[in-house]
Amino acid sequence: MRSIVLRRTVQTPGDTALVNITSDVHRAVAESGIANGLALVMTLHTTTAITVNEGLEDLEDDILELIQRLVPANAPYRHARFLDSDGQMAVNAPSHLRGALLGMEVLFPVEDGKLVIGGRQTIYLVELDGPLLRNWVVHVLGD
Amino acid sequence: MTRIDFHIHPVQVQELHDSDASLDRAVRGPFGLQMPPQPLATLLLHLDAGAIDKAVMLPLDCTTAHGTTIVSNEQVAWLAEQSDRLIPFASVDPMVPNAPKALEHAVRSYGARGLKLDPALQQFAVDDHDHAYPIYQTCVELGIPILIHCGMSWAPTGMASLAHPLLLERVIHDFPSLPFVIAHMGWPWVRESAMLAIKHRHICLDTSVLFSGTPTDSVRTAIEEIGGIDTLDRSLSKQIVFGSNYPRVDPKRAVWAIEALDLRSRLADRIFFGNASRLLGLDKELPCDR
Repeated sequence: MRSIVLRRTVQTPGDTALVNITSDVHRAVAESGIANGLALVMTLHTTTAITVNEGLEDLEDDILELIQRLVPANAPYRHARFLDSDGQMAVNAPSHLRGALLGMEVLFPVEDGKLVIGGRQTIYLVELDGPLLRNWVVHVLGD
Repeated sequence: MTRIDFHIHPVQVQELHDSDASLDRAVRGPFGLQMPPQPLATLLLHLDAGAIDKAVMLPLDCTTAHGTTIVSNEQVAWLAEQSDRLIPFASVDPMVPNAPKALEHAVRSYGARGLKLDPALQQFAVDDHDHAYPIYQTCVELGIPILIHCGMSWAPTGMASLAHPLLLERVIHDFPSLPFVIAHMGWPWVRESAMLAIKHRHICLDTSVLFSGTPTDSVRTAIEEIGGIDTLDRSLSKQIVFGSNYPRVDPKRAVWAIEALDLRSRLADRIFFGNASRLLGLDKELPCDR
C-alpha cells in the first residue's frame, strides 16, 4: 500500500466563507497516482473546517447562517485573553467552536484513479476566522 | 463610511520576511509575536474584513535596547509603494545621535506622515531633554504627529513603567502644538490618559485597548472607566482615533468593538475617519482642533 500526502494552500476571502476545493481534490487524487484506496481531505487549522454539501449559493449562505446561530459571536467565552504562546489576543472562541461542530476532515473512496463522489457533492474548506492563507492536505492511501 | 486604522504593525508581512532574514528574530524576540508570516495580500484582506480603507503602518527602531528594528522605515516605505491604502509612519531611536536627521530623512524621502515611539520597548525616558526633546522639536518643525505607546506592553521586555501617560505631562506643556496620540488609551492608566486629553487639545487617544476579554469587552470597560460614551461625545469626540494594534488583534474585531458601542453617527465618523484624517494631514483642518 502506498501513502501520498499532498499539501495545498488557499487564500480565504473574508471572516467566514465556504471555499470550493472539489477540483483541487480531484487533481490531487490524480497526481497521487493511486488507483484504488481512500482519499482523506483534512484541514490543518482549528478555525477552519472541511464539509461536503450541494454546491448552491443559497445552501452556502444557509450553512454559514446556521453555524453563526448555533455559536453566537458574543457570549461570555473563556477563550478571550492574551495568549503568550502566540503573542496576540486569543479572542476567536466562536471560530473554534464552529470548527468543532463542522469537523476537520472528510473521507472518499478512490476507484480506478478517480474520486468516488456524488454528483451533487461539493467539498468545501470552511473559513471561520479569515481572511488568512490556509493549509490543507489530501492524504491518498492505496495501491 | 470611510475608515482609517491608526495602529498597525506590519511585522507579519511575508514579503518583508522573504527579503530580510533578521526580521523573524526581531518579531519573535523583542516584539514577542510567534505567528507565521502571511502575504501582504492577506493584510489588505484583513482591512477589507473590517471595511477599513487605509491603515497607518508602524515601524519600530529598537537599536539601543535590542540591537534591531522591528520593521524599518525603508520597509514601511516599500509597503506604502505597494498599496496606496498603507500610510507610512517613521520610527527613530531617540538614543541614537543622528535620530532627528533620520526622522527628517524618513519624512522627506519616504513620505512618513508621523512618528511612532514606544518608550516601553525602546526603553528611553519620554522627558529626556537630551535625547527625546530633539525628536519632539523635529516633529514640530516637520508638522507631524507622534503615536506613542502608553500603558501595558505585550512585548516580553516592554517596560510599562517607562510608558506611564503622566510622564508625558511636562512634555505636553513644553510642546503645546505637537499632537500626541496616546496608544491603547494608556491602559491601565485610562483615566490619566483621558485627563491629559480632556485638558490638552493636542492630545488624542487611540482605541486599541487590549488587556483581557474580546476587544469589545476591553474597549467598553475602558470607556466606562472614563465616564462612558457621554464623556467621549462631550469632551473627546475630536481627540480619539480608531486603532486595532494588528496583529495583536484582527482589525475586524477592533471594528466590531467600536460598532458595539452603538455611537451616534457623528462620533463614530470622527473616531473611524475624521480625527485620523486631520492628524495625518488628509484634510486642511488642524490636528485635534475643536
